[in-house]
Amino acid sequence: MIVAGRSGGEGVRIVLEAEEAMLLSELADQVDSVLLLGEADDPALGRLLPNAYPDDASSSREFARYTRDSLVDGKRQAAQRVRDATAVEDGDDTVVQIELEQSEAWGWLTFLTDLRLILAERVGIIEEGEDAADETRDDYLRAAYEWAGFVQGSMLEVLDPTDS
Amino acid sequence: MSATLEQHDTETTTSVVAEEPWRTIVWDDPVNLMTYVSYVFRTYFGYPREEAERLMLRVHNEGRAVVATGNREAMERHVQAMHGYGLQATVSRAES
Repeated sequence: MIVAGRSGGEGVRIVLEAEEAMLLSELADQVDSVLLLGEADDPALGRLLPNAYPDDASSSREFARYTRDSLVDGKRQAAQRVRDATAVEDGDDTVVQIELEQSEAWGWLTFLTDLRLILAERVGIIEEGEDAADETRDDYLRAAYEWAGFVQGSMLEVLDPTDS
Repeated sequence: MSATLEQHDTETTTSVVAEEPWRTIVWDDPVNLMTYVSYVFRTYFGYPREEAERLMLRVHNEGRAVVATGNREAMERHVQAMHGYGLQATVSRAES
């Protein structure tokens, strides 16, 4: 994976190996599915759509009623755009080049956040750096979690370079 | 003259906050990257880099930070936006 600035201005350019693109496309599709099909009591959905009023059940319901659909739509759209941008044909082993304007890059950043929130819930990440109890079961998800964080961190270095 | 005007503006702002004591609180989350949280605060709220990083560090170190105050409707808009960015945010009434 390469993440770099765009020659023509703001935004970011991402180059993925075919294998990485397929993985990301698959993960994006899963995020979309969680948002579309997730049961109300799925804790991962709770991470994506937090309770705005933990101490006030009626305000909480009201807030959810007014905001949930548009939040879900926004998150699904972001996931679908990533899925489509990273779709590769089977057997195609060329690299995938993606150019993102600043606004499109935000869609990727928020998608990567949602993806990591879901993966963290699935592997039970509670505290930073704390190992999950069942490592073998979670190896794949954990690797995806770390990798998504690496992609996001690399994007931020390009989009928001610090002076130091 | 300009000093008088600025004084007036400050007083107006203070009284508005006092009358509409609602807060947007962002909570620490072990998942989100610190650079991401700070970038969200700058981009969405328009905070200068130093202020955004101060708030991000407060979230990180103290577990939560008040990132905006104002009327309830505005705070709900902010919280919805924070949820859109994947941050854990809540609305609450300021303790008077």
